[in-house]
Amino acid sequence: MSKPELWVIAERRLDHIEPTTQQLITKAKGLAGDQFNVVTILLEATTDHLEDELKAYGPDEIRVVRDDRFPTATDAEHADALQQLVEKYQPNSLLFGATITGRSIAPRLQAKLQTGLTADCLDLRFDDDTLVATKPSYGDNIMCEIICPDHRPQMATVRPNTFVATPAAGDATVTTDTVTFHPVDRLQVKAAVPVVNTATTVGDASRVVALGRGAASAATIANATKLAEKLGGRIGVSRPLTDQDRFTHDDQIGQSGNTIHPELIINFGISGAVQYLVGMQDSQTIVAVNSDERAPIFEVADYGYVGDAQAFMTALLAAFN
Amino acid sequence: MKIVVCIKQVPETNDVTIDPVTHNLDRRGLAGVMNPFDKNAIELALTLKDSRDDVQVALLTMGPDDYAESLREGMAMGADEGYLLSDRAFAGADTLATGYVIAQALKKIDHADLILFGRQAVDADTGQVGPIVAEFLHQPQITYAASLRLSGANEVTAERLLEDTKQTLVAQLPAVVSVRSELNTPRYPTPRNIQLSFAKSLTVWHHDDLDLDDSRLGQAGSPTIVTKVYAPEPVKRELTPLTGTPSEAASQLIKALKERQLI
Repeated sequence: MSKPELWVIAERRLDHIEPTTQQLITKAKGLAGDQFNVVTILLEATTDHLEDELKAYGPDEIRVVRDDRFPTATDAEHADALQQLVEKYQPNSLLFGATITGRSIAPRLQAKLQTGLTADCLDLRFDDDTLVATKPSYGDNIMCEIICPDHRPQMATVRPNTFVATPAAGDATVTTDTVTFHPVDRLQVKAAVPVVNTATTVGDASRVVALGRGAASAATIANATKLAEKLGGRIGVSRPLTDQDRFTHDDQIGQSGNTIHPELIINFGISGAVQYLVGMQDSQTIVAVNSDERAPIFEVADYGYVGDAQAFMTALLAAFN
Repeated sequence: MKIVVCIKQVPETNDVTIDPVTHNLDRRGLAGVMNPFDKNAIELALTLKDSRDDVQVALLTMGPDDYAESLREGMAMGADEGYLLSDRAFAGADTLATGYVIAQALKKIDHADLILFGRQAVDADTGQVGPIVAEFLHQPQITYAASLRLSGANEVTAERLLEDTKQTLVAQLPAVVSVRSELNTPRYPTPRNIQLSFAKSLTVWHHDDLDLDDSRLGQAGSPTIVTKVYAPEPVKRELTPLTGTPSEAASQLIKALKERQLI
């Protein structure tokens, strides 16, 4: 008898695969061992070849369903197609990226299948064939381990960039399958346009260039603006810089300002007073540049450079160009 | 038309702790407040009500009797009526069992044309109940709406922001919509509206008031089980020094950010 299947539901992002899909394939392979076959489910248009962006990550199988309506299909249409596949193959578990798309389709499918779904997971493991999903609650202050013991498939959405995608050896088999596309006439996607950056406040930005007293000159601020544009992010400041006319309380990071947890924050000329650190220390990747090697900011940083903030920023901009 | 806004009451602060002896959440002394994201959904409903004469706004929540506080607060913002789904049989429900009871209650409310949710609750952070309800009611869903207007007698047009794409969607009502918090700034209750809210109708529905399959309620109807609750260890980060000249250090950083798929 063939092994039960562990599914990663591939997500499309414009004309490419959303990177969380590849991260989940690597994680799924690590979880599967000899127990499961890792199968990536890909819904794409007849002219697409998005499977080419998945093969290198080495799932056991890439199962492709093609229909020209998929790229603009609505959540309910996606969930309907996935339901048909689930009923055909009876997989053990389904993993989605906890992107807006994943967090919209997965609960719709959950309701169709009447099973359990754990949202926005930060870790996954198997206890025999039971998926143990770790999910944050109360603004990441509390972690819960959640299982779905008596219903199959088990489902989870996983926070983007929780796991690292690693190319793997091995030939993924690409198979094709079909489903019946049931259009939902009552909802139409009329337009879809790319947007670079939708952040309106520093709290919404996924990339933040943070400036402190050691990076407060006009030239540094001008460079920081360019750097933030390159990263598709926003400038944030520590409290002393809110005295400058161009920054307001809305731009401030820290206990008395915004608590942020972007994917990336690069701190320039910020020493890291505790009131500042509590506002940003849950960021996913923290970079610190400061001339004082004893600055507390280095204690919470993943990458640190001891030196002049302006000189480093100039070099970083040059390296980008 | 009637707009029903589904709301949740949450602890006043996310600063919760674990009882060191029982390993349960210590919620002592935590007052309940309306989930802040739900106020954006109420504000949207009230804006639509202001734009047309025939719009009624109802609020609906499921929880213990003190959740009526949040209904009263929403009515003081300007909503017309409130529904509280309260029964011991509903307790311990996960998102699926919660969505089931809410969907069954919505079926009982006449002309619930537009059903609104906040983007997610600040305590559990799932955002799942909206899509679950949409599926149980066989209605179209628009999640994470960044704007919404009534574009016809029986139609809404919404913008939906994905991570790097803006979609324009048109839905025929009835439909379920969850809204982003950037959509608007919720209004405060005015003294006049607070006074008026006491005369507004607050309906409590218990188990026997709804058409329910008992096997789908509460803990028994919940596929998921929380097996462990703990406070996360602070992330211990290992500092990788960037070394050499600024240019050399910048190159090292770019390489590292690429590996982490950040650029």
